Amino acid sequence: MFSTLITTGITTGITALRRVPRAAWLLAFVVSVVLPALPVLGASAAPAAALSTTVVDLQPTRIVFHPDTEATRVELHNVGTTRVRAENFRIEGADWAGFAIVEGLDAQTIDPGQMFSFHVSVDGSSFKDAKAYRSGGAELRLTVGGERRTVPLVFENPSWIWTHFIPALIKIHLIALGFVLPLASLLTWLERKQSAMMQDRVGPNMARIQVGGVTLRLWGLLHIATDGIKMLFKEDFVPRRAHVPLYTLAPLMALCPVIAVFAIIPFGDALCYGRLFEVVTQADVDQCAAGRGGTPLQIAKIDVGLLFYFAIASLATYGTTLAGWASYNKWAVLGALRASAQMISYEVALGLTVVGALLVYGSLEPHALVHAQLDTYWGIVLQPLAFVLFFTAAVAETKRAPFDLPEGESEIIGYFIEYSGMRFGLFFLAEFMEVIFVGAMVTTLFLGGWSLPFGLMGASGFVSDVAALGFFVAAGAGMIATGVLIAASNKAVRDFGRVLTALGIVHVLIGLWAASSGWGTAMPHILVVVIGMTTWGIKVFALCWLQLLIRWTLPRFRYDQLMGLGWKGLLPLSVANIVLTAIVVYAMMPSTGSASVTSTTTATQGDTPPATDREHTP
Amino acid sequence: MTIGVKKVSLERRFSDQIFLPAILQGLITTARHFFKNTLSPGQEDVDTIRYGEPDVRVEDYYPDRFRGVHRLMHREDGSVRCVACMCCSTVCPAKCIYIQAEDRQDAQEKAPKSFVIDELKCVVCGLCVEACPCDAIRMDTKQHMTATEVRQDAVLAKVDLMKRGTLSVAIQGGVSADFRADAPKADPRFMHDPR
Repeated sequence: MFSTLITTGITTGITALRRVPRAAWLLAFVVSVVLPALPVLGASAAPAAALSTTVVDLQPTRIVFHPDTEATRVELHNVGTTRVRAENFRIEGADWAGFAIVEGLDAQTIDPGQMFSFHVSVDGSSFKDAKAYRSGGAELRLTVGGERRTVPLVFENPSWIWTHFIPALIKIHLIALGFVLPLASLLTWLERKQSAMMQDRVGPNMARIQVGGVTLRLWGLLHIATDGIKMLFKEDFVPRRAHVPLYTLAPLMALCPVIAVFAIIPFGDALCYGRLFEVVTQADVDQCAAGRGGTPLQIAKIDVGLLFYFAIASLATYGTTLAGWASYNKWAVLGALRASAQMISYEVALGLTVVGALLVYGSLEPHALVHAQLDTYWGIVLQPLAFVLFFTAAVAETKRAPFDLPEGESEIIGYFIEYSGMRFGLFFLAEFMEVIFVGAMVTTLFLGGWSLPFGLMGASGFVSDVAALGFFVAAGAGMIATGVLIAASNKAVRDFGRVLTALGIVHVLIGLWAASSGWGTAMPHILVVVIGMTTWGIKVFALCWLQLLIRWTLPRFRYDQLMGLGWKGLLPLSVANIVLTAIVVYAMMPSTGSASVTSTTTATQGDTPPATDREHTP
Repeated sequence: MTIGVKKVSLERRFSDQIFLPAILQGLITTARHFFKNTLSPGQEDVDTIRYGEPDVRVEDYYPDRFRGVHRLMHREDGSVRCVACMCCSTVCPAKCIYIQAEDRQDAQEKAPKSFVIDELKCVVCGLCVEACPCDAIRMDTKQHMTATEVRQDAVLAKVDLMKRGTLSVAIQGGVSADFRADAPKADPRFMHDPR
């Protein structure tokens, strides 16, 4: 009955839209541009005190200690409208003697909008038996406004295999096999299909597969497979006077660094083990990001993050240079030299551009950089010039048009002229993975990583009911509009369009339910993580799409123009950006001497900032 | 009237020097094409004719005066319209039409005993169609002569040519090119460019 109604409605809609395609475009515009703007307006108008059920927001809700953990801060945010009294702080449970409340044992009165914090520390020696640490736990109990609260305290000493090795392995597989490689092969198809659509052609559409009696063509997606098979079965040619070891090594030297740099990209905040279906707070997630009771959604959370990127990414140049030299071909050598010169020129601008962002956000660590953007504004807002410069230089690093001088299809064929088969395929793949990496890096530095725009979502769900409603309704409306358009466009994909439309309707219903039941502001941890990772993926994909658009729109540079842009354009501008940013940051510095925009990412800070220092609302 | 000189400013303004406005303009243009072709019904700007696709009839895209493989038209009783007047084989510059005449039993007319066209020799000039007084031979099949494995397969006999033929209602004898009043309307599909 319901499906019949939907189908009838859609069919009527399709007929109407076919007659007036302009109206369809208008509708799509309204739905996709105007509607998403509404929750923003609504969010700014709505009062922040949406958590009417909980008077006091207690963070974190569970504390995990490792032997090297310093005192952990517990925060009590009064989000209600009345004053509440916090009292009866005590630690009970099996291992109560192992933990201690550092300060603030007295009863406290917290005004509305204010925050009270104290520290809990652990005495590791009480968990130490003759040979090794044992795990144990207790409970921190307190009474807030007559209501009893309990925070579990856990002490554990997991081996590095479980804290670092296994999670890293899983994350490597998730990112490399689950995202980068599929997207890279998808880009080989998208490059051809998108350029075709931009140039009013049809593009690849002939590869097909027969399942039973049904022939599937999937918009030419199967060309990915046919291309791969072709690469693998082509002759593996080695020039007679080539330097065979280096000739073999070069494709690997091009590919491996590009995979390695993905280690520093944060694709989500953090995952807390065993709490996937609970509502967690930002303090809990920060604790998990530090490796206690969870794992950061980043393969390697290292403090030198961006330096690691510059160091490893530069290694990829060896691949191109060695390929050119080992091929024993003068055109290949020319291409290799051009690649080296181009790398050197643009690497300088690339590095200097990032310095501006570092001055503002005060960290080299990508995870911390994203958090700093969450606390203030995205990098594209605070550093617009750096965004343009970084994106330009990064696109130049990928060696694709309009910066495709090392390849130069129309003059020299470039550094891989002698390569064929899968050896060439590796260069090809590395190029597309660089495209993805540029997208991921720009997302991390300038587009707020995994976060939704306008600070719509925090660690425990959406910031307000209006935000939840607006997000789901906007997403649903976008799906409905796209679905109806797709269903109207082609007989072959009509069912896909209908499914998308139905999904959109489901989204709108979810939004209504989330807003009315309060579920939107208290979502399960796993859902917040999944939404964050999806947001990250969408941003990266959109940037890949933009790079392909640029590659097929702009004409190539002449060689002197390329060098001129790098040394006389990007370099002075990035230096100017540093000076300008430094002046502004210095002017906005408070007299205490700490930077105006500090990141509060870890819960284990040694210093205790005053309660009024940190704003709770984003 | 004086000859004026139009002065074109070659001065590079600031917006030209930073490239970005022009780049954005270009990106918007290409993106517009992308979205129009991706989302709109029937990929509006794409002019490609999808030859060889199962659901595409090439006939829909060929102009009406396209000259393809020959066919021989039928009378109302299903017999061949050709009266073996030899006009087509005479006018044929490639000499690829071979006709042997015989007497018709039902009228005082001739009919082709055999009517063979060697499509390999044919230069597709269409003179045979123009010469025909009976609307018997036509080239409006909108089919190309396909490649064959042996030459003999490209030599079409009367049966093959009539297999493609349909009923013609033109007045027999070439009185005029006009159709009868009760002639069925021409297929509107062929009257306009369906794109």
